[in-house]
Amino acid sequence: MFNSRGVGHGVALLALLLVPILWQDMPIVGATRLAWLDGYQELSPRERRSAPAVIVAIDEVSLDRFGQWPWPRTLVAQLIDKLGAARPAAIGVDILFPEPDRLSPEWLAPSVAEVDPRLAARLAMLPRHDAVLAASIKAAPVALGIAGLEAGKPSEVAPLTPSLQRGSDARAALRHYASTLRSLPEIDTAARGHGLLSADTEAGVVRRVPLVALVGVTPVLPLSLETLRLASGEPLFFVQGGVAGVEAVGIGDLVVPTQSDGRLWVHYTPHDASRFVSAADVLGDKADPAQLEGKLVLVGVTGLGLIDYQSTPLGERMPGIEIHAQVLENVFDGALLVRPRWATWVEGLALFVMGLVVVCSVPRLSPGRSTVLLLLSLITLGAAGFGAYRVAGLLLDASVPGAAIVFLFAAMLVETLAEANAQKKLLQERLQRERESAARLAGELDAARRIQIGSLPRPESAFPSEHRFEISAAMEPAREVGGDLYDFFMLDAEHLFFLVGDVSGKGLPASIFMAVSKALCKSTALRRGRRVDELLHEANAEIARENPEFLFVTVFAGVLDVLSGRLEYCSAGHEPPFVLAADGEIARLEEGGGPPLCVLEEFSYVAAEHEMSRGGIVCVVSDGVTEAMNPAGELYGAVRLREALERGRNTENPAALVNAIRADISQFVDGAEAADDLTLLVLRWNGPSAR
Amino acid sequence: MHVSQERYGDTLVLTPIGRVDNSTTDRLKSGLDAYIASSRAGGNRLVLDFSKVDYISSVGLRVLMLAGKEIREQGGSIVVAALQPVVREIFEISRFNLVFQCFGSVREALTKVSPTALAAYDSAHGT
Repeated sequence: MFNSRGVGHGVALLALLLVPILWQDMPIVGATRLAWLDGYQELSPRERRSAPAVIVAIDEVSLDRFGQWPWPRTLVAQLIDKLGAARPAAIGVDILFPEPDRLSPEWLAPSVAEVDPRLAARLAMLPRHDAVLAASIKAAPVALGIAGLEAGKPSEVAPLTPSLQRGSDARAALRHYASTLRSLPEIDTAARGHGLLSADTEAGVVRRVPLVALVGVTPVLPLSLETLRLASGEPLFFVQGGVAGVEAVGIGDLVVPTQSDGRLWVHYTPHDASRFVSAADVLGDKADPAQLEGKLVLVGVTGLGLIDYQSTPLGERMPGIEIHAQVLENVFDGALLVRPRWATWVEGLALFVMGLVVVCSVPRLSPGRSTVLLLLSLITLGAAGFGAYRVAGLLLDASVPGAAIVFLFAAMLVETLAEANAQKKLLQERLQRERESAARLAGELDAARRIQIGSLPRPESAFPSEHRFEISAAMEPAREVGGDLYDFFMLDAEHLFFLVGDVSGKGLPASIFMAVSKALCKSTALRRGRRVDELLHEANAEIARENPEFLFVTVFAGVLDVLSGRLEYCSAGHEPPFVLAADGEIARLEEGGGPPLCVLEEFSYVAAEHEMSRGGIVCVVSDGVTEAMNPAGELYGAVRLREALERGRNTENPAALVNAIRADISQFVDGAEAADDLTLLVLRWNGPSAR
Repeated sequence: MHVSQERYGDTLVLTPIGRVDNSTTDRLKSGLDAYIASSRAGGNRLVLDFSKVDYISSVGLRVLMLAGKEIREQGGSIVVAALQPVVREIFEISRFNLVFQCFGSVREALTKVSPTALAAYDSAHGT
């Protein structure tokens, strides 16, 4: 059932549910969204197409071979020299050298000076390790990592790669670091590039890394892009600003679109060992130079347990250096993930449209169909989100709109069911009231029926010591109160008046009209005497005056001269009675008459006469007899009545004949419910001085 | 039951089809009531073609009686035509043949009711 109140509530709730969508960082909701977006990558991770970056890992094998970390910086310098000799596009070093190398000879010289001054002097002559490393770094295209710090002041002398601002100044939108932790100035200034190593985790997962961040007021590239910049030979990079923040980061012709805060959603592949070359192999000259030539080489420490391992959306832990490599692969393959600014509005619109469908359809559908509709909606949402990810690299969330739709659906279902229950209760109450009023009405109809039947004379006790004639009559009311009537009484000592009538209609009006008709006929008959035609003429006028419902009544009226057997009769549109002579001859009283009473005013009814034979019978019926219907829809009819009369000709008295005919009708209708009242009146004339 | 209608000149011929009993009388009544409501006072003529009525109950007769009263009060006329045997017997028993003029056919009725209607009827039926 359609219910506008329920729909109103639904729309209000829908409006409320748009809040968590438009408020992106709402607690819990934001985490749900991120988990859903992770799901896309987990379900369908990026396929690795190109390999622009190679990771030279100072792994467990390298540490086994060359000793524990930190290595002497001469060894690191040696590594960089070997890498430089392999002619890579650029080298990014994911290692900080903030303190002087304690293994450097100048640090050893003081400790041996007392024991062996000459050795100390010779040690002091040896090149310092930090100077060796700085020289190696200077000789190769190396970008050094720097770490962002939340506190402190940025160094004014430390070098940072210059950048250009294109479009509007979007620096306010960037991840901001107050200062940096850098290598010793001697090493730091030897490098041609400096890239940020820091990336924020979200609930322990690295999803988004900055493609540009701010140190103090200066934009800085991450180590990955800085290495790329070095490789490209571009002296600077640019930051493209727009209305809502950063739009892209560019190096020369390369333009990489970013989120408005300068970050990139990393499109992950699972951990891949083929990205890695062991530092031990490079130092031992076992690495294939072709693996390194022309590549972006990232150097990092992976062999220190889990110090620089990060969780990814794919649910695995990965060395931080591999994330830098993946960023470079994203950029090279153009396999970038973007969560567009309009994502929020699309998600809100999806919820709004599907929510409206739910709100409008749940109250009209069965719970089963509603549930199917809900599931279809959710599947559509999820499939659309996943499709956008697969085809266009768009990150659209289906989880929050989906959860909102489920919530809305549950609320609507509860409301609808509650409404249905209330309706059911209302219906039950109404049904109960109707039953009660029907019972009351039935009681009143019963009373009306009792009055109707009670007003009819009782034939067995009407003429206690009469032998010249015998009369019997019966009236069976139909289920509703009908309008049949019969009457008989002596007009004087020799004249018997009898009448059978049938009102056109049913129910209380017919019943009342019948009672009025009977009373008026009787009073008219008693006043007017023996002329039946005059009686009907006057009764016609009298009854018509009391007829607000425009009913009419058919009447057969007769006056029997009990001495002579002469029957004077007049029919007002009534079924012609049968007369059955003692010798068995059957006739019908069809002469004279006129239309039913109350049909034509001032009609002059015409009386007719019939001479009855001694023992002759008159049988008057209402159309409830001839139109009694059996279950097959056949009518009892005048022919069956005539046959029943012939069979019952020799019954003992009229009462027995009445019973015989009623039994015959009852057998014929075979239990079918009577549609109309059924009246039978049988009169036998026994002669003037019978018995 | 169903009531169709045809107009010939100044006369309307209503043709009820089926049984006119307690359950179907309302449709005949609404057909007649619509005619009565639409007819202007004076000079309206109605022929009830009963050729397709195989039974009429006393409730149906009452509807005819009421319609007859109203039409006559408006100064119009109503006649009945083409009664089937069973219905003819009902009319005879109830003496409704005294209340409504009955004719053997629609054409016969139109002959009596209106010459213009008869002409229209004949041209429509190619007689």
